[in-house]
Amino acid sequence: MLRLRLFYGLLTIILLLWSVGAAALLLMRDSVTRFDTRLRTDYRSIDAAQTVRTLTSTLNTHYLPSLAGPAPEIRPDRTSYDQMKQELQGKLQIIHAEEGRDANWQSVVMRLDQAFDSYFEGYESFFSGNAINRPDREKLLQFLGTQTQRLTDVTENIMTLAEEKLFSGASRLGEESGKNTLFVATLVLLGTSVAALIYFQLVRHLVDPVFSLHRSIEEIRKGNFELTLPEPGPGSEFSNVVSAFNDMAAELKVRRGESDESLTRANMVNRAILEAIPSPVFVLSNDTGIVQINPAAEELSERLGVTGRLPLKIQRILDECRENSAHFLPEDPREALLFRIHEEEFYYLPRIFRFDSENSSQSGWAVLLHNVSRIRWLDDMKTNLLSTVSHEIKTPLTGIRMVLHLLLEERSNHLDEMQKVMVASANDDCERLLVTLNSLLDLSRAESGATHLVRVPVVMKSSVARTAHLYRGAAMAKDIEVRIDEGDEDFPEVLADPIRLDEVLNNLVSNAIKHSPQGGKIIIRQCKPDAEHLRVSVIDEGPGVPEGSQSRIFERFYRAPGQKVDGVGLGLFISREIIRAHEGRIGLRERKDQLTEFYIDVPIA
Amino acid sequence: MSPSPERRESLVQDKLRVLVVDDEPTLRLGFAYALSSKNTVVETAPTGRHALERIENSPFDIMILDLRMPELDGIGVIEALRGAGNEIPIILCSAALSPNAALRAIRHGVVDFLLKPVRPVDLRQIIEFILRPEKRPLPLAMKAARRRQTEEAIQILESDSTPSRQAAYWLCVFRSIRDATADEDASLLEEKVRTSMSILAFNAPTVS
Repeated sequence: MLRLRLFYGLLTIILLLWSVGAAALLLMRDSVTRFDTRLRTDYRSIDAAQTVRTLTSTLNTHYLPSLAGPAPEIRPDRTSYDQMKQELQGKLQIIHAEEGRDANWQSVVMRLDQAFDSYFEGYESFFSGNAINRPDREKLLQFLGTQTQRLTDVTENIMTLAEEKLFSGASRLGEESGKNTLFVATLVLLGTSVAALIYFQLVRHLVDPVFSLHRSIEEIRKGNFELTLPEPGPGSEFSNVVSAFNDMAAELKVRRGESDESLTRANMVNRAILEAIPSPVFVLSNDTGIVQINPAAEELSERLGVTGRLPLKIQRILDECRENSAHFLPEDPREALLFRIHEEEFYYLPRIFRFDSENSSQSGWAVLLHNVSRIRWLDDMKTNLLSTVSHEIKTPLTGIRMVLHLLLEERSNHLDEMQKVMVASANDDCERLLVTLNSLLDLSRAESGATHLVRVPVVMKSSVARTAHLYRGAAMAKDIEVRIDEGDEDFPEVLADPIRLDEVLNNLVSNAIKHSPQGGKIIIRQCKPDAEHLRVSVIDEGPGVPEGSQSRIFERFYRAPGQKVDGVGLGLFISREIIRAHEGRIGLRERKDQLTEFYIDVPIA
Repeated sequence: MSPSPERRESLVQDKLRVLVVDDEPTLRLGFAYALSSKNTVVETAPTGRHALERIENSPFDIMILDLRMPELDGIGVIEALRGAGNEIPIILCSAALSPNAALRAIRHGVVDFLLKPVRPVDLRQIIEFILRPEKRPLPLAMKAARRRQTEEAIQILESDSTPSRQAAYWLCVFRSIRDATADEDASLLEEKVRTSMSILAFNAPTVS
């Protein structure tokens, strides 16, 4: 549409240009022609009048002097007169031909005719020869002189008139050329206005839409999706753009509506979850300013007297986390922090998560304080109960066992076979019960004891040597060689509680001896699997751990099915607890070359 | 009231007098029955107080003392006796020994621990171990420790080129006691002793 308008507009300008040019050319040629014509006609009259005067004077000069003398005998020759007369009449014709003149001109021409008539009459009487006598002759001469004078006057008039006409024609031509100038100026003005029109049309239809599109894009960038562009007229080149733009804006609006809705929803869900969580939750920005806090957290901070702030103990852990930019996610309730509120003890297990986003302003920390007071209490109760009950059972059992042993010793009285079998059976039961009780005590000891570590730099080599020495006897009993595979490397010291570390090593070596075949070999080897840990491996030639049991051997009371070796299945559990408290690792390596390898990784000091 | 060496010699010729202190009647009965012989007289006391009374009235050669008792516990009895200057050898017998109690006992020259349940044979052997120590490093060191000669005990144990597991732990404990002066060191010692409790206890060679 715009293209068409543009085309028409420019076509108009071009046409105007052409017509202005053509008109100017035509007008110029026309005025030149008219000037020429005017000049020629007017000049002819003047020329004719001039010729009349010349001819009459020639005639007079030729014929009149004879009138001054006496009458000649021969008649004067009239040939030149006739010739002249003819010529004169021709000129008269020319003057007559000047038609269409004003009344002034007509009257002058009429007077010229009369003057000519009188003039020719005079000459006719001259040639008739009637005037022979002197007075007549003089009279004729006088008459002819008068007529000539009259003719001269009239031609004078005619010339004046023709000249006047010539001048008036020139001035009329000037007038006309003024009109032409006006005409051309009008055309030029018209062209200019058409150009101006085209300019405004262009601005309106091309520049304005582009500008408004630009403004709209700016608005959308600012997030104002409500905006739509007005629909342009049908056929506009912008209608596609505008409708595409409006579609886009609408789509964006819908999308934002959707994301707004889902955000609102997510926000509500989050809030509900936060409020429903009974544990205090603090959400903090990267610089530990509080962003969100749930009612439980508000209550806790209020009761601790630090309303709306993170308790100091937690803040310290958070600071540590920030330094290492790591999570802090302890699971053991024994790592809980103690808070005293109104002389009551509460244990909170802090769990600190870091959440990251691409721009750092969105990342921060979430601190959840899990109230483990009850778990701690129950755990302590269980451990105490286990310990107390075991002791309480153990004490009388000790007496019973003593008595049974004394009976079996048969120091004073001999038992008959039946009595002996029964007492021996009772004694066996008693022993089994004692083993179970001891395991329970070990368990409670492991659970309450593994956290109380006294970690000092320890030379692993001497721990290993102690353990090997300790089990020398037991190994020899089964004809087993315990070899310490030291290599040449000097290993750094580890950070460990030496007695607990010995306990773990003892357990691994004692297990290896238990499961080794008669005359087998046990290798204790040290290595450095990574920069932070020192590894001790205990390798035996036993049958290994059954596939299905491998993942469970570190569980409490777990014993691989079909195991003939005695034990209640706490050794590895206790070892794992100890190693865990050391922030180390304990594990079983994949079996190869018919060797079973247990290892511990202990942090380097 | 402490028995002089001369007196003890004379007693050996007569009969060995043993005092068993335990609140558990069956155990008292069992202990008495296990130890009684033509050479040994066993008397029993059900509580710490009774034990102190008994020992006041008549001398004993050795005492088997339960740790956990109502009223006055084993450690209380030990402290009372040592406070009164009685250096009678004492066997501390308990199902479980708290590290703190063990330390206090050791400081009072009580280094013989029996872990319940006790077999009759253990009882007889520990009495032999105390009254007629073998000429081996551990029994000799224990003898020194009973006299509270910790330094001597350490020297004896250090001279042992092939120490048993038990001897190694005793050496560690004696050293800790020697080096421990301030209270905070005592708690560290407690840590160390606790895990090796069962090792410190007397263990008789297994009898089938």
